Amino acid sequence: MKYSDEVLRRVREPQRAGSLSGDHVGTGEVGTLDEGTVVRIQVRADGGRIAEARFKVFGCSAAIASASLVAEWLEGAAMDEASGVTAERVVQKLELAPEREHVARMAVEAGLNAVRDVVNDRNH
Amino acid sequence: MIYLDHHATTPVDARVLEAMLPFFTEKFGNAASKQHRFGWDANDAVERARKQVAALIGAGSKDIVFTSGATEANNLAIKGIARAVDARAAEGTESSEGKRNHIVTIATEHKAVLDPIARLQQQGWRVTVLPVNRDGLVDVNVVADAITERTALVSVMAANNEIGVLQPIKELAGAAHARGAWIHTDAVQAVGTVPFDVEELDVDLASITAHKVYGPKGAGALYVRRKRVAIAAEVDGGGHERGMRSGTLNVPGIVGFGRAAEIVRAERASEAKHLAVLRDRLLERLQAATDGMTVNGTMHARLPGNLNVSFDGVDGEALLVSLDDIAVSSGAACTQAEPSHVLMALGLSKDRALASLRFGIGRDTSVDEIDYAASKVAEVVARLRHLSPVG
Repeated sequence: MKYSDEVLRRVREPQRAGSLSGDHVGTGEVGTLDEGTVVRIQVRADGGRIAEARFKVFGCSAAIASASLVAEWLEGAAMDEASGVTAERVVQKLELAPEREHVARMAVEAGLNAVRDVVNDRNH
Repeated sequence: MIYLDHHATTPVDARVLEAMLPFFTEKFGNAASKQHRFGWDANDAVERARKQVAALIGAGSKDIVFTSGATEANNLAIKGIARAVDARAAEGTESSEGKRNHIVTIATEHKAVLDPIARLQQQGWRVTVLPVNRDGLVDVNVVADAITERTALVSVMAANNEIGVLQPIKELAGAAHARGAWIHTDAVQAVGTVPFDVEELDVDLASITAHKVYGPKGAGALYVRRKRVAIAAEVDGGGHERGMRSGTLNVPGIVGFGRAAEIVRAERASEAKHLAVLRDRLLERLQAATDGMTVNGTMHARLPGNLNVSFDGVDGEALLVSLDDIAVSSGAACTQAEPSHVLMALGLSKDRALASLRFGIGRDTSVDEIDYAASKVAEVVARLRHLSPVG
């Protein structure tokens, strides 16, 4: 499987890998070990913005690169801008082959679930 | 970039290249040209190479059939036996009721053996594919039980290309011959680094290739014990190679194959020791630096330059991609998410089969390269495990 330089760079030197804990943290996790891919993205809200985003992945290079890109795009964004992060944009930026597009969708879903989680948390 | 994929291919030895070069230029003749010096020189060179290749495996040179490589040699052996049997049945020299139309092989064979056998199965041949144990070895008794009076051929590889385990070929040959069947072995991986003698092992057919033993790509050979076995040609036209493989001979490639075989014969024993020292060092370093690692295949009957390991909790593809400056091969191979059929035959889970690495250590591999590879693999495995949200 050939990958773009963008994917290779993100796999070999992952940025925003890790976990968040404490207040105003939302978590989104998608996939199972049986499926071969698990993506977890966490965001910390500060006012109306996403102050920090971190990811963890078990899966292929495309999954790692997708999660790292989603975390990068979410960090610093306004909460209501999060829906602008789409799988199509991830696929385009990483130049993913069609058979790897599903992991981009998983990463976006995990990211948006994390944002939803922190919004719900604040509404309660 | 460190090359640790010598089971895939090897670089051409400088001494081999030197021997080949004249046959691209001033000695460009066709070995089949009988009327002039150009042809005579080419033919002499081919016959010298035939002796060198034969000597490597303890064969008579008249029993060496040059081919384009091992895939062709395997096809020629398997389909050549089958077509010869079919032809004798059609001629009535062998009664069709008593016709041998059964082939026995094992699950961990290379696709270049499994696929031609599958083709024969489509054409009405009966096929038995036997399992191996968790160590990757076949049980001779299981093979013996599978061979019947209808079995024409038993085909079992001498050394496995992924896990390097050595099958008991001599015992398997005995079991085949006891029932009147012939034995073929794919000896591609074995001949470079372990003793392989067709008389000692009593095999009838053996496939070998140049590019796994520091020779060029595009030159291989099938050993055919002609006193015992007759095979039908796959390629007709010109009657080259005693009618068993027509086609203008690849003279430079064959010359290179011959020189490579000569070097292996002279240096194999000392090289094997060097490879085993490096392989054992790699294993020890990986074991010291990494938890959750399993060796695939027995360490007791194995190619000295082979190591195949699986890592728990790591995605094999991400592992391979992260090893940006080490050329190794993975159980994931090139077919996406399809685990190695060899590792699955050992009973590995799909995850473990996918999260495996095959190291193929070679003639020019250094201690420094082994140490670097071990620390890099350990570092990447730790990084990927740390990245995982699970466990």
